[in-house]
Amino acid sequence: MQGPLIDTLARQGITRRTFLKYCATLASMMALPPSAGLAMAEALAATRRPSVIWLPFQECTGCTESITRSHSPTLEAMIFDMISLDYQETLMAAAGFQAEEALHNAMKDNMGKYLLIVDGSIPLGLDGAYSCIGGRSNLEILKEAAEGAAAIIAMGSCASFGGIPKANPNPTGAVSVSDIFTDKPIVNIPGCPPIPAVITGVLAHYLTFGTLPELDDKKRPKAFYGETIHDRCYRRPFYDQGKFAKTFDDEGARRGWCLFELGCKGPVTYNACATEKWNGGTSWPVESGHGCLGCSEPDFWDGGGFYKALSMPADPLKIGAVAAVVGAAVGVGVSVVNRVKKGAAKSAHETTDLADLEK
Amino acid sequence: MSLDAIPVHVINTTPAEPGLSGNALPLLREISELLRRLLETGETGTIDLSALPLTPADLDWLQDKLGEGEIAVTLQANGESTLNETACSGVWWVVHRNTQGAVTTQFIEVAWVPELVKAHPQDVKIGQESLELLISDL
Repeated sequence: MQGPLIDTLARQGITRRTFLKYCATLASMMALPPSAGLAMAEALAATRRPSVIWLPFQECTGCTESITRSHSPTLEAMIFDMISLDYQETLMAAAGFQAEEALHNAMKDNMGKYLLIVDGSIPLGLDGAYSCIGGRSNLEILKEAAEGAAAIIAMGSCASFGGIPKANPNPTGAVSVSDIFTDKPIVNIPGCPPIPAVITGVLAHYLTFGTLPELDDKKRPKAFYGETIHDRCYRRPFYDQGKFAKTFDDEGARRGWCLFELGCKGPVTYNACATEKWNGGTSWPVESGHGCLGCSEPDFWDGGGFYKALSMPADPLKIGAVAAVVGAAVGVGVSVVNRVKKGAAKSAHETTDLADLEK
Repeated sequence: MSLDAIPVHVINTTPAEPGLSGNALPLLREISELLRRLLETGETGTIDLSALPLTPADLDWLQDKLGEGEIAVTLQANGESTLNETACSGVWWVVHRNTQGAVTTQFIEVAWVPELVKAHPQDVKIGQESLELLISDL
């Protein structure tokens, strides 16, 4: 990029006020004081582009979808104008030899300075044979790229904590990035997928201050993961008043009461959905009437049921062998009854309750 | 299929008084404190409304209490932003929207003039240069 960023933006028809507005929004979502918005604008406007390499492993591309389909393409794209994205398998036009050459050139030219973004978990089972690119295992590729990286950003729950590939029984032996490296600065940006603004926020912080943002004990940026969904939930006052929805279509649900009893994992989930929202600030799961699944927490898939209230034991069926045998016989009967009831409810379009969802 | 066949009925759209959480009231005191600071030291202040647990009803209540002032600024910058003075001079209600019209951030800014309204010296210089060019061509 020639000259300061603000000139490049001006050539693209992006005015200073648009940029200031963007920085104010960015500062707001990073819980920085409003004066930081101005400081960020000044620093970002004069920034040099760092090289960024993005490697996908055991993943569904949902993280890339999340970023590229963010609500204000021109604004999120601004951040991508501020970096030099040298390798991203889903987005780049090059393939085969050229692509791999670009990767190695970027690594060589920016040794020790580039940012490495990783999405997806890394399978260690069968010597990494479960996921290979160009005949090389994910582990091998990651180790090579991590060597000269200034920092690694683990994008999404898979790269951060192992995610769904790691879910019980973890057939591929999937692990997270921080399970492999202990001597590298790592930022975890969990979420399935993570909020687009969070990744751009982390990049903006790196560009503005030249450092990674402050992290918590799970290596997550405190600005976005400092508080639980529950802390910032607009339904929180109803929790405090003891007003709970009991089913998804009762009076309480219609009045927007707390979804705790319907299995909301908000109280134990650290993420920014309640303030950032999704789809361009349109809504987010709780606002749409569904509890939080806790997708940004480690092992969320094995939490014991999305519709079980946090106050219920995670696995009440483990009550000893004798009970299990008796239970199995009863269970068959119950499940037949349940299936009949479920079918009847479906045809009669009856209210679905919690027990139905757990069948 | 008509909409009546769907058993979920949404009770819309403006929640009445039950929507008030009581979280808006303390904000009035904070705004008053920021105004005192502005008068004494000239230091401006901002409250980030999107970062607080406020219900839509709370925001309506707050807006109603602060009232409408004489100045309403509209900024067209990647979506519309409004920077409106409230009945309380020096207190500005700032709303940023994206190109789809959804609210991205909402602030209360306590300042003589909101930061975004001011022209940047560099932009003024560019304006002056193009004006000079225009005059020399006449």
